[in-house]
Amino acid sequence: MASELSEIRSFLGDVSPFDRLDADCIAAIARRVTVRYFRAGDTILEAGSHNDQLFIVRSGSVELRLAGEELTMRLGKGGSFAFPSLLRGGEVRNTTTALEDTLVYCLPGEEFHRLRSECDAVRDYFNESETERIRSAVRDLRLKRPSTLQHATIDQLLVHKQPVSCEPGLSIADAATLMSERDVSTLAICEGGRLVGIFTDKDLRKRVVAARTDFDRPIREVMTAAPRTLPRHATAAEAMALMAAGGFRHIPVLGSAGELVAILSATDILAYLGDSAIDTGMLVAKAAGPQALVAAARQIPEGFARMDAGGFHAEHTMRFTSALGEAVHRRAAELAEAELGPPPVPYALLVFGSLARGEQLVGSDQDNGIVMDDRVDESGREYFAALGARISDLLDECGFVYCKGGIMAKNAEQRLTRSEWSERYGRWIANPDEDRILRATIYFDMRAVHGDAVMAQALHEDVVDKARGSGLFLSFLARDAQRSKVPLGFFRNLVLEKSEDGQKVFDAKAQAILPVIDIARTFALAEGLAAVGTIERLEVLAAAGRMARGDAESLKDAFLLVSELRIAHQAAQVRAGTAPDNAIAPAALSPLERDYLKDAFSVISGGLDSLKRNLAGGIA
Amino acid sequence: MRERIADWRFRRRLAALGKSGQELLCAYAGARWPAPDLPLREAALLALDFELDGLARDAHVLQAGWLAFDTGGIALDGAMSLDIRSARRLDDGAVTVHGIGEERAREGQPLRQVLGPLVSALSGRVLVAHGAAIEVEVIERTTRACFGEALPVRAICTLELERRLHPNLVGSDAYRLAAVRARYNLPAYDQHDALSDALAAAELLLAQARRLPADVRLGSVLRG
Repeated sequence: MASELSEIRSFLGDVSPFDRLDADCIAAIARRVTVRYFRAGDTILEAGSHNDQLFIVRSGSVELRLAGEELTMRLGKGGSFAFPSLLRGGEVRNTTTALEDTLVYCLPGEEFHRLRSECDAVRDYFNESETERIRSAVRDLRLKRPSTLQHATIDQLLVHKQPVSCEPGLSIADAATLMSERDVSTLAICEGGRLVGIFTDKDLRKRVVAARTDFDRPIREVMTAAPRTLPRHATAAEAMALMAAGGFRHIPVLGSAGELVAILSATDILAYLGDSAIDTGMLVAKAAGPQALVAAARQIPEGFARMDAGGFHAEHTMRFTSALGEAVHRRAAELAEAELGPPPVPYALLVFGSLARGEQLVGSDQDNGIVMDDRVDESGREYFAALGARISDLLDECGFVYCKGGIMAKNAEQRLTRSEWSERYGRWIANPDEDRILRATIYFDMRAVHGDAVMAQALHEDVVDKARGSGLFLSFLARDAQRSKVPLGFFRNLVLEKSEDGQKVFDAKAQAILPVIDIARTFALAEGLAAVGTIERLEVLAAAGRMARGDAESLKDAFLLVSELRIAHQAAQVRAGTAPDNAIAPAALSPLERDYLKDAFSVISGGLDSLKRNLAGGIA
Repeated sequence: MRERIADWRFRRRLAALGKSGQELLCAYAGARWPAPDLPLREAALLALDFELDGLARDAHVLQAGWLAFDTGGIALDGAMSLDIRSARRLDDGAVTVHGIGEERAREGQPLRQVLGPLVSALSGRVLVAHGAAIEVEVIERTTRACFGEALPVRAICTLELERRLHPNLVGSDAYRLAAVRARYNLPAYDQHDALSDALAAAELLLAQARRLPADVRLGSVLRG
């Protein structure tokens, strides 16, 4: 009957993993459900008891606490719980209580096991290993990402001028001269406006010079006759497929009347996709003055959005964007020096935080400082004061806005000698207190982008060395990391919507990225590892046996997963012309993405716990 | 006192039914009926809802939906929903509400065939509905018409119960099923499907029962 249990069927059809089952299967499951109701505060399942049901939250929300204490997760509408106990034979480890008045659907354990054995999607979903779920999530996101290649037509790729062409009767020597004069590597050979062949640098090498062909012979004899062509409305993906299949790097593009429009090169495709990052980098490095630098730097967000659209992986997008940011900082320092004259003593421009870690996205403010040689005198300090101010001002114009916390070369406390920096770090480390730690953590991600790299590196090594030896300092760092409130269960049903802070969006940076950075940094400092990038730190920790390989991989995956979402979010903002931020509305994510995020939070939460257990001892 | 008299009258009517000689009715009369002093949480319940073609006293029954449960939970494997045959020209307003048109009504089962499994399901159980007067009245009317005997029914009315739990709410809308459910954080359901409404009433009773003393007796929540 059409109306039978329609409420339960339509609900199950919307929640993971049941949404992947067919209608008949869902109808059968609906019949096996038992509906139960709990009041806020009621215990639904107790740690240590035996369970033989899968619970699905229909309305309200619940909280899971390991052994009744440590918060594991919060779930709202659509969230499933108690399946780990089913997977492990019934033993319940989390005490589950209702946070609000809650209606739950209970599915018998045997039904749960039957679904797992019959349906891969269900099995994957309830897979015990979060690690695997996150890894497949990252893969999924990448596959799903609509690639520009599918949409961009060749027309959009062609930024080039008219193709250079000649008649087939022209001599090889004259043709080569033409190519040389017009600075092209590919020549189109046309007869009465119709394309009859192409001739490339490679042809010149193979068919002319190596074959010792007479230069006076007509080009017709050494050209590639009847080359493969594409119409101008073909997509970039088709062009790439043709290049890959034919093993060539140039394709003539024809207009609707069959006339030659352009020669598309592999480089054109590359430039369209990414880079732009390369072009922008060149513009930055060559910027002759402040205005040129600002103009070049202002292109970075657009290149960033293109990298996202082009299907770049998060780590590459972050690396490229950071590389460009670094180039802007370096050029700003060079231009400032050019204005003020050469520095009186050696110095280095330091960057802290995301740029130092190579994890910058767009919309970041500047975090930098200057380290000066100890021999600097008063007039030297005045020089660096002017230099620092100039650099900060330029960077602000370039889109790296002034740091609200004052961490920039413009400020005197950010311009210290090698010894002064060393002392300052020493004070933070020897005498940590909560307030200082809060302000100081990003200083431990440090890198020189210009100037005396050796001096900067010596400072960094010195800092890492000091930190490793200080248990008190590390325990403060470990405890400070716990300030992040990982929003477990948030996405299931905006569980936190009703929380005290009234928050309705998820801050991808504060709630997911920063905790991973904190975990990696604290463990790395504890081991005296000089690595600065988060992924690099996790890898080095695993390689050194300081962190379980699986834990490091999971944290890395969680970090990349959230980074992918964050990049996609910011790229969309750049495309829409709004200022990039980190506030992701759960509604903008697919149910599957929310599930993946839940796994990521779970991993991050585990990492924070491990940090607390290992390093916060005696303080937390 | 009121409870004891009500129970005495209910059992007298059962006894009379047992003499009807009709198998279905005798089985109903002879079922194990819970005593009024049984704790509510031990009582066997049946949420029931009818869709009618209007509000008139002779309104046709177009659909019946029911499910057995107790205050510990609602198992859905026994949930039942049946369309009932009606050849009457249907009231347009009612059709708009429940969506059962004349064509579908003609394809339903005869009323007598639906009453069979319903009477069996109700045997030994207490009927639960939001505004249970209608369901009780329809059962009495239709069983009298089909079997010559009006079935005695004990019922819990979730609306009446709500007036006891939240006595001072302003406006009759505050006691409508959807509004009451929202008060207990129960999900919003599409109404006017008999089984969905029955499920909605059953879930509501689970929620209301959690507000009553754990040892509340059945007799104290039966409709008067």
